[in-house]
Amino acid sequence: MIRRVAISLLIAASMCAAQTAQPTVEAHFGRATQLMQEHSYEAAAAEFEQAVTASPADPRVQFQYAVCLLALGRNDEARTHFEQARKLSGESRYITYYLGRLDLLSNDYTSAIQRLSSVADDPPAPDTAFHLGVAYISSGDLAAGTKWLERAAKLLPRDYRVHYRLARAYSSAGREKDADREYQLYTQLRDAHKNTEKDVRDCAGALQSGPPSAAREMCHRVYDPNDPEKLTLLGQLFGDAGAFEESLDPLKRAVQLDPKSFDAWHNLGLTYFRLQQYAQARAPLETAVALRPEFYGSAVLLGATLYMLGEDEAALPVLERAHRLNPSDAQTTEVLEKLRASHQKR
Amino acid sequence: MTRREFLAILAAGTAGAGISRAQDLGGMASRGIKPQPRGKPSGLPFHAHFTDIAAKAGLHAPVIYGPPDRMDYILESMGCGVAFLDYDNDGWLDIFLLSGTRREGPVDGATNRLYKNNRDGTFTDVTAKAGLIRQGWACGVTVGDYNNDGFDDLFITAWPQNILYRNNGDGTFTDVTKTAGLLHPGNRWGTGCTWVDYDRDGRLDLFVSNYVVFDFDKIPPTGKDPRCNFKGVPVNCGPRGLVPERPMLYHNNGDGTFTDVTERSGVGAVAPGYGLTAIAADFDGDGWQEIYVACDSTPSLLFQNRGDGTFAERGMQSGLAVNEDGNEQAGMGIAVGDFNLDGQMDVLKTHFTEDTVALYRNAGRLVFDDVTLRAGLGVETRYVSWGDGMFDLDNDGLPDLFWVTGSVFPEVEQKHPEFAHKTPRVLFRNLGGGRFEELLDAAGPAVAEPHSSRGVAFGDFDNDGDLDILIMNINEPPSLLRNDVSGDARWLKVKLVGTRSNTSAIGAVVTAVYGGRRQAQPVLAASGYLSANDRRLHFGLGEAATADLEIAWPNGTREQVKGVQADQLVTVKEGAGVISRERFKR
Repeated sequence: MIRRVAISLLIAASMCAAQTAQPTVEAHFGRATQLMQEHSYEAAAAEFEQAVTASPADPRVQFQYAVCLLALGRNDEARTHFEQARKLSGESRYITYYLGRLDLLSNDYTSAIQRLSSVADDPPAPDTAFHLGVAYISSGDLAAGTKWLERAAKLLPRDYRVHYRLARAYSSAGREKDADREYQLYTQLRDAHKNTEKDVRDCAGALQSGPPSAAREMCHRVYDPNDPEKLTLLGQLFGDAGAFEESLDPLKRAVQLDPKSFDAWHNLGLTYFRLQQYAQARAPLETAVALRPEFYGSAVLLGATLYMLGEDEAALPVLERAHRLNPSDAQTTEVLEKLRASHQKR
Repeated sequence: MTRREFLAILAAGTAGAGISRAQDLGGMASRGIKPQPRGKPSGLPFHAHFTDIAAKAGLHAPVIYGPPDRMDYILESMGCGVAFLDYDNDGWLDIFLLSGTRREGPVDGATNRLYKNNRDGTFTDVTAKAGLIRQGWACGVTVGDYNNDGFDDLFITAWPQNILYRNNGDGTFTDVTKTAGLLHPGNRWGTGCTWVDYDRDGRLDLFVSNYVVFDFDKIPPTGKDPRCNFKGVPVNCGPRGLVPERPMLYHNNGDGTFTDVTERSGVGAVAPGYGLTAIAADFDGDGWQEIYVACDSTPSLLFQNRGDGTFAERGMQSGLAVNEDGNEQAGMGIAVGDFNLDGQMDVLKTHFTEDTVALYRNAGRLVFDDVTLRAGLGVETRYVSWGDGMFDLDNDGLPDLFWVTGSVFPEVEQKHPEFAHKTPRVLFRNLGGGRFEELLDAAGPAVAEPHSSRGVAFGDFDNDGDLDILIMNINEPPSLLRNDVSGDARWLKVKLVGTRSNTSAIGAVVTAVYGGRRQAQPVLAASGYLSANDRRLHFGLGEAATADLEIAWPNGTREQVKGVQADQLVTVKEGAGVISRERFKR
């Protein structure tokens, strides 16, 4: 029972912003990462800025700060920090990819093409070919742009943006038949996207206004056995409503389809945790932590899971790491102190 | 579920990342983007200088449009257009201002207004004398001589009923809506409108776009529907969530009446959308008029003229329907011009806040490229943007971009001061090479003045060889921005008079060749946001002393005028060449 109370405190602590201990670089970094995950980019940038000030030689912090700045449209600052990260860590295809995108945004097509081409064979992000295609088209090289957009359409078959750009490229080349095919695909995907938005709103509304069983039919419209993003979203919607059993199936399917999806693994682990199925929660959370080691939410959940499984020795370093990511969390500190004391006794 | 658990899940997952922010942005489509960084200023002088002389000119009456402090319904937020026209053919631009009203009841002095140009920088309100007093929810205006009697007539869109005024040629107008066959059954919210001779029979037909199905009693006002919010602040509902409408096309029978050919022409075959400004021009250079409709949060429409009395909707294929990522934008105003001097007509379309305008380069064959970011326009995303123009404001030979702005959600600025209700005008000067530079304070004090503006018209009201700007401000008097261009840059104005074509020459294209440059301009019956410009085409010529003119008349014939001297207005009559030349006194 004590263990359970401690764990609930731990989880709650992961969500609260107590202001006790002096934040460290890791703490700022962890909070910033969490805020990024929540799409609170302004707040994340403020945390990253403090992390960078405290540890300017940490390339990881410089890089993530730059990504955040790019999301905010603060492109010049983003470039500065990507360059700084490159100085500190050496050439990286990830940095090259982002610098290429920044070149594209600043209309420097020659540089964008040079950078994105250099990483296109081993793309750091699935949309590398898309941005390269756009860079070529913008530079006036319609043939090369079309070639890369065709490749992007294969890599991102559900992305309506890609198909629209490709349709435009075909139109410009006078390839009306190809253009019509792509416009049709674009329209289908765009409509599907809009329908999904509506279905999600309807599902969320039904889950808010009645029991999950009543919302099941409505929410089933979001279920697409071949779309990991929609499956993850559906799992999250059920989870938001406390329908954890309902969450499991779409999330399990999502991780099968996209084993690199942090969101899917994290939500699957969280769902098992909520169902108190700690043994099942462990592997998904370990995967989530491996995919995003800087994300406090996954770290503290994994620590808590291990603790609940009685694996205090394994839990200790994980919670230590979570604590470093968010030292202001008093409850985690309390549990950690107990674990440390127990560890020392042994 | 406890609050802490709920927070835990929120913190844990972001699987909904791909879901639209439409709710957060009210009912308008917006990319939710931040402005791109501004480059270093060019430091080049800009020779246009704007001063708001509306009060001095006698334009005192406010344009009433809904309550003074809030906008409870979308109808109250959309405002209306303005027009420069020469209703009495005296060679001086007069002003026509549309007006709204208030739901609570008639407001003293709220009426559409006609101001006669006194030729001394002032205007006289002749609304009553002209028979144009009318209070209601007017929206758009198109100016053209539909009966080819030599005098400009007025068509006005409005909720719930549009109006056609015939110019009697004696300073008065007559409401002929009913006899013309333009009364429609039921209530409808007409917005964009343009005269267009789509079948080249020499008579102006009429295109009307419609916005949403509107009823004060059926649409919840601000605060009554929690889904209608912007940044967490309750706001008026729409357009998303409201029932969209289809546009309409009326054929001019030549006897003062019109026939609804919406279905027969194919115009009625499009999916319903939220149509606003409509303009007609020959975008593909085949001699037949296309019609482009800016749609608000649905794909914009381009009706390609097949030349047989029917149209094919080609918005998506042309690239004019959505932005470069394939997303709808909140299309409000449209400007047409030739910003890159390639002799083809390009398009500027305005949108919502946290989005850019869209600049489309005409690549020929009815294919347009979205060059907004490449052109440097991504630096400005702060305002809800409305009436716009693509005109050479400093006479340097390169068309500039100008648009007016203003929020539709006055309630929001209290919580979010960055979304002010009244916002400044936006001016981008053309640097050449397809690039533009925003001028924040280099073109006179009137540009930075904040208002909640909607319609805008461009024209040379004081006949001094530059373009002035007339602006509708919601619940304020209009702005009249007098342009005083300094320096030695030259200009040329061209007025066309049709004979076999419609007398207004609406639909003609004049290509001026000057100083190694080649610029096309269309004669439009409507432009900006629900507004109408001076139909005399204005070309800044830079240092060039002469220009050659190539004229494509609406009926398909072509004409050339060589070696026209700068700094004058030339009137060209179809088939007769230049019939008059006028040098303005400065």
